Amino acid sequence: MAGFLQQVIEGLGAGAIYASLALALVLIHRFTGIVNFAQGELAMFSTYVAWQFTAAGLPFWAALPLTLAVSFAGGMLIERVVIRPVEGAPELTVVIVTVGLFIFVNAAAGWIWSFLIKDFPNPFPVGAVEAGGLTVSHSTLGVLAVVGAVMGLLYLLFRHTKVGLGMRAVAADPVSARLVGVRVGRTLALGWGLAATVGAVSGVLVAPLLFLEPNMMGGVLIYAFAAATLGGFDSPGGAVVGGLVVGVAETLAGAYVGFVGSDLKVGVPLAVILCVLLLRPQGLFGRAAVERA
Amino acid sequence: MSGDFLTVTDLHAGYGDARVLHGVDLAVGRGEICAILGPNGAGKTTLLRALSGMVRVRGGVRLDGTALAGRPPDALARLGVAHVPEGRGTFTPLTVEENLRLGAFTRRDRDGIEADLERVCAYFPVLRARLGQVAGSLSGGEQQMLAIGRALMLRPRLLLLDEPSLGLAPLVTAELFRIVRTVNEQERTTVVVVEQNAHLALDVAHRAHVLESGRIVLSGSAARLRADEQVARSYLGYRV
Repeated sequence: MAGFLQQVIEGLGAGAIYASLALALVLIHRFTGIVNFAQGELAMFSTYVAWQFTAAGLPFWAALPLTLAVSFAGGMLIERVVIRPVEGAPELTVVIVTVGLFIFVNAAAGWIWSFLIKDFPNPFPVGAVEAGGLTVSHSTLGVLAVVGAVMGLLYLLFRHTKVGLGMRAVAADPVSARLVGVRVGRTLALGWGLAATVGAVSGVLVAPLLFLEPNMMGGVLIYAFAAATLGGFDSPGGAVVGGLVVGVAETLAGAYVGFVGSDLKVGVPLAVILCVLLLRPQGLFGRAAVERA
Repeated sequence: MSGDFLTVTDLHAGYGDARVLHGVDLAVGRGEICAILGPNGAGKTTLLRALSGMVRVRGGVRLDGTALAGRPPDALARLGVAHVPEGRGTFTPLTVEENLRLGAFTRRDRDGIEADLERVCAYFPVLRARLGQVAGSLSGGEQQMLAIGRALMLRPRLLLLDEPSLGLAPLVTAELFRIVRTVNEQERTTVVVVEQNAHLALDVAHRAHVLESGRIVLSGSAARLRADEQVARSYLGYRV
């Protein structure tokens, strides 16, 4: 039993990272109705920015806020320069643009920092907390705490600030939002900045567990897609729950399902995506698209 | 009335190649309710959309001396133009209270907003009972009240109402128009209302204009239009 709980906790730690990237995907999707395939690469780029700050001698916890600020500005800039020109274009066009962005950011990171792997400092102290026969590493606790804090801040932003209210209005009905005086263009840019920031958190948290290299987020992005699909692409809360569920499912499948092991674990998110799309396409917490005839 | 508050001169508007308004001239006095009548497809909705910046226009629109033409809708909202659009524009996933607060999005006076929330709830008691409810769960009539309440939260200088009676029961519509009249009398809000139901519109309005094929073909006081034989035949459904 303790072994099982141990696996669940490990899974939650991984799931929290998927959850934050899934949250970034969901933010963009709520605003623009598109799936941003470049979200993982933006997170990877942010992680390199953080690495650059630490390589310049800054302690991690000083580099983090700077990185998040750079990511926010970068996200807004990308909305202005890359996405704005295709606003209102067919979905496929916009999706292809994000795929192009994926390739561009990936190549840019390789060009700037090379494709050789780099060590990324673990911001949390080595060691673990033991309680009731369970061992929880500081790293797992730290990841859960950081992601929890990000969720809390987003909740406050959306529920208790005017900017957040404006953002939700734009997501609900952009035409009406414009009529009541919300600057929709500015709000969309803000949404991209916010998504890039939340995504950056996932990159910075996952980098110490993997190695820092331009393709590091590829796998994480698949898990995040599974999480967002499971939770519902229009539900931020769903993305978090979805991330945690996918993380736990992946860990348990790796530990207990013989033929899965550690090699086939990546099959778990794909199975999740397939099942959700077959059984409940809108996800657990999403709203089914209903159109009146 | 005390001079012209809203003046529209030679206004052209349309969608892409489809031109809908062909030189509309219009004047609305401060504190007046002005009704726009006309058959389907005459351009009534487009006229309102032109006034709130939702379509591209050519021509002049001035509100109390300020040129409005060419400004985007969010800028016009900041200048005090509140548009209750066709279909009501409810933010369905948000609560009733959040919908109302969005109406005051461009305002900075916190105390005034709280006072106006109270005022709107006094006009529409049914909304007060549902402040925490998701707006999409309201009935059509309640959503129309919400849409008007949201517009009033701007404390508008110009209130544009597009077909407030559409799809509503006659009793609900009568109640809505009574409230619009009350708001107009108490707060001197200038109102332009587009309405299929000419009876209702002429009852509440001071002045009215008949729009046909993108042009104003008849203007006058509501009383005069009510007595006009042509209007009676075309829009009131009886002969005088």
